[in-house]
Amino acid sequence: MKISRRTILRGMLGGGLVTIGLPLFDALLNDTATAFADGDALPKRFGIFFWGNGVLPELWNPKGTGTTYELSPTLQPLAEMKSKFSLISGMKVPIVNAVPHLSGPIGLLSGAPALATDKEAFARASIDQIIAETIGLDSRFKSLEVGVERGAKSLSYNGAHSNNPPETSPHALFARVFGPEFTMPGDMAKPNPTLALRKSVLDAVTDDAKRLQSTLGSTDKARLDQHLSGIRALELRLKKLQENPPSLAACKVPVEPKLEYPDVDGRSPLSAISRAMVDTLAMAMACDQTRVFSLWFHNGVSNVLFPGATSGHHQLTHDEPSPQPKVAAILLQIMAEVNYMFKAFDAIPEGASTLLDHCGILATSDCSYGRQHLLDEYPLIVGGTANGNLKTGLHYRSPAQENTSKLILTLARAMGLTMDAFGDAEGRTSDSLTAIEV
Amino acid sequence: MKYAAILLLLVTACDGEKAKLPVQSNAPPPVPSGPVGEAVGTLAAAQRLTATQYRNTVRDLFGKEVIVPSALEPDVATDGFDAVGSSTSTVSARGVEQYEAAAFAIGNQVIADPKLLSRVLTCKPAGITDEPCARAFVTTMGRRIFRRPVTAEETTKIAGVMATAATALGTFEKGVPYGIAAMLQSPQFLYRSISRADSGATYGGFALAARISFFLWNSTPDDALLDAAAAGKLASYEGVKPEVDRLLADPRARDGLRNFVREWLRLGQLDRLEKDAKLFTTYSVELGPMAREETLRLFEDFVFDREADIRDVLTTRHTFVTPKLASMYQLPAPTATGFAPVDLPEDSPRRGLLGHIALLALYSHPTSSSATLRGKFVREKLLCVQIPNPPVNVNTALPEPTPDAKTLRQRVQIHFADAACAACHKIMDPIGLGLEQFDSIGRFRTKENGATIDASGDLDGAKFNNPTELAEAIRNHRDFPPCLTRKVFQYATGMKPTDADDPTLKSLTDHFVKTGYRLKPLLAAVASSPAFRTMGAAH
Repeated sequence: MKISRRTILRGMLGGGLVTIGLPLFDALLNDTATAFADGDALPKRFGIFFWGNGVLPELWNPKGTGTTYELSPTLQPLAEMKSKFSLISGMKVPIVNAVPHLSGPIGLLSGAPALATDKEAFARASIDQIIAETIGLDSRFKSLEVGVERGAKSLSYNGAHSNNPPETSPHALFARVFGPEFTMPGDMAKPNPTLALRKSVLDAVTDDAKRLQSTLGSTDKARLDQHLSGIRALELRLKKLQENPPSLAACKVPVEPKLEYPDVDGRSPLSAISRAMVDTLAMAMACDQTRVFSLWFHNGVSNVLFPGATSGHHQLTHDEPSPQPKVAAILLQIMAEVNYMFKAFDAIPEGASTLLDHCGILATSDCSYGRQHLLDEYPLIVGGTANGNLKTGLHYRSPAQENTSKLILTLARAMGLTMDAFGDAEGRTSDSLTAIEV
Repeated sequence: MKYAAILLLLVTACDGEKAKLPVQSNAPPPVPSGPVGEAVGTLAAAQRLTATQYRNTVRDLFGKEVIVPSALEPDVATDGFDAVGSSTSTVSARGVEQYEAAAFAIGNQVIADPKLLSRVLTCKPAGITDEPCARAFVTTMGRRIFRRPVTAEETTKIAGVMATAATALGTFEKGVPYGIAAMLQSPQFLYRSISRADSGATYGGFALAARISFFLWNSTPDDALLDAAAAGKLASYEGVKPEVDRLLADPRARDGLRNFVREWLRLGQLDRLEKDAKLFTTYSVELGPMAREETLRLFEDFVFDREADIRDVLTTRHTFVTPKLASMYQLPAPTATGFAPVDLPEDSPRRGLLGHIALLALYSHPTSSSATLRGKFVREKLLCVQIPNPPVNVNTALPEPTPDAKTLRQRVQIHFADAACAACHKIMDPIGLGLEQFDSIGRFRTKENGATIDASGDLDGAKFNNPTELAEAIRNHRDFPPCLTRKVFQYATGMKPTDADDPTLKSLTDHFVKTGYRLKPLLAAVASSPAFRTMGAAH
């Protein structure tokens, strides 16, 4: 039985108001299958796939440009998905390279220099959160952050010192999204009297916080504001649990990941964890539980031992003699995971195209050449067309070390944001990267 | 030009720390009375409870049987301390969800066990709703949870939440978790808040009670400390000192010390020690936490069991081992299971803290040791010299071992050939090379790639020939006592000290020296110091 999202079943307390809407068929797709029948376009999704310790530019940059380029050695694992992403090379993160492995992502993702008082801290929000503020508010989770290596950290920031830590257990991610509170799109929400009670608790907490706020200094006040926005997000989630989500043909509960991913030969099975995360994220999006994700494969400076590697990744990037075949082999493993993600998303049909076609995904790292922490020749892959707004299958080579903020501005606009400019100080630009725009 | 400027900066940064002469220790004299240091306010900000503080607090509020769901918003270290990060970090949307889940999980455990419920609910409810009983519950538990008396408005609100829930769910008891959840999710509980109006003032009694207990216990104040605050006893040094001494005599002070050591030495990272299991057959996932426990037990022993000169933690032959650690230390196992005290043999090359697997393995690479990481650890954590990041665009590769250069000592010579690298590496690498007889996982060895390891060197003028003499040199280094004082002060206040704190730090260091380098008197002096008790500007 398909039910409109606007049909609301409320389970209220003490025999209170219960509204049961008539089952309607308006949640089916329209004739051209590009939108919900009620006129809502299939949603756009934004994602980040991040790995640490950079690349080997000589093995990364492809030959040729435009649609006829040849994949470079490092990009070979992505061969089967070549038409579904674009490669952008020769751009530069224009901020001062003060902290190895951090200045790059701070400049790339926030378009701005680090905090003046702390060169390791984002001063502004990262792009995933800026986009989530616009496209993420209608889904159950504004964004989902996941990490693959043990101790993975995210660089998803709501603002200075306001991090969104990643979920590093695939099972915990599954439980969060597809646990008991999940309602299959098209099904009716189960009446649950405790939702209203939980809401009453959050109301009391919010009152408390607001009273406290009037006594605080400005920095603490801003920190508490952030906490309050988390409480509001939770309230919104409780409200959604009382609604009947519209049917989504592609939505299925994914295979439940294992509780634990024990080491294999003393090493964490990074690939298996990453794939379990990707499979869960794919359905989290197909079921419209979230529209923004970021996957933090491993941290900058991470010395995680990849299968087959003779040393930790970071150590190899510095100590292995050129041309660093062991580092190159690790990068092939990482690219295989990027490829898996693209394939998994592309395997989910949505309307006339696929989930991947409704995504814009930035795959990138913390620097270009890991050994020297360079910020020019930044590694940038953009997967998906964001509902036909981005060109894929091409290599754009920047002729003059253009500011990476141009690409970020393009991605934000492709997601439907109205932005005149992106970034701050030397990172700021009002020009987008027209070469990959449709 | 730019590069030259960076170079100059680096050389200055690392050359600024000139060689210091070691001083000899004195016999421990009695602790002088009176407050130590100036009444300069330490910077104040709302500190979020760390994950460990949350767990300890739940244990102390509801009983050790109550389990907190494993995941809570992770802590962020700033300047090396979670205690400092807790003054600046925020809570994410996922963190808010986790706090909600934890609060209800705690509340539901409490009502499921009559014994636990009777601890927090002292009145007998007369029916599904019983307003006086609900109010009594909120008044008692609210004071413990918020670490101050609850206001009439708060009591009414939370008792109302409980009544609504009780009515909907059918029993008074079923409303209790909702009252608990309302308090445990409140920012009044989750943050130790600082009122803007209080800037520059002495901490109010209740705020100071929390500040002292989270410093010394890493947990919430007990009723006695809150009573002392309510009675106005915490307004003066004379009133604070007995409470500080009482807290330090309580077993919970061991939790406090353990947490300080864990944060100071970054031992939390041992939970994800990355070692090549093929290379190190003794490696297993439990090794990191086990090695950390050894270090924490040694500190407990020094501070609480023997109240000894803490500098000797660097040179002692005493330690605590499991059968696994014993075998890695090539000792007979003193016990069949768990930990037992042991003295390393007199001729053992392994001495004190820097002979612990915890430090040796943590400050190494997954497959090889690192003179630089170990030296950096000693400089930054034990001697308080901040080592800048290597300049970007510099090739930091070490050459591979060759028949002519088999040892790390030979391979790191490249660090000294370039003035830009040498400025910092010359104060890190020689210390780490003194520990080269311990491999990446902390096992003793005399040879590397067949060549004999030379573990000699010089620490700011003190020559050493082996790790034992290096440990002596660090123990006697004049910067170690002020550095440890600084670390304790920073941990206690949750703020990086500024120049304004220098006189206080100097007085505290003098006190530490005068009291025989014992940590307990130092903890007491910091907790009762005017600086710790006075608030700076709210931020």
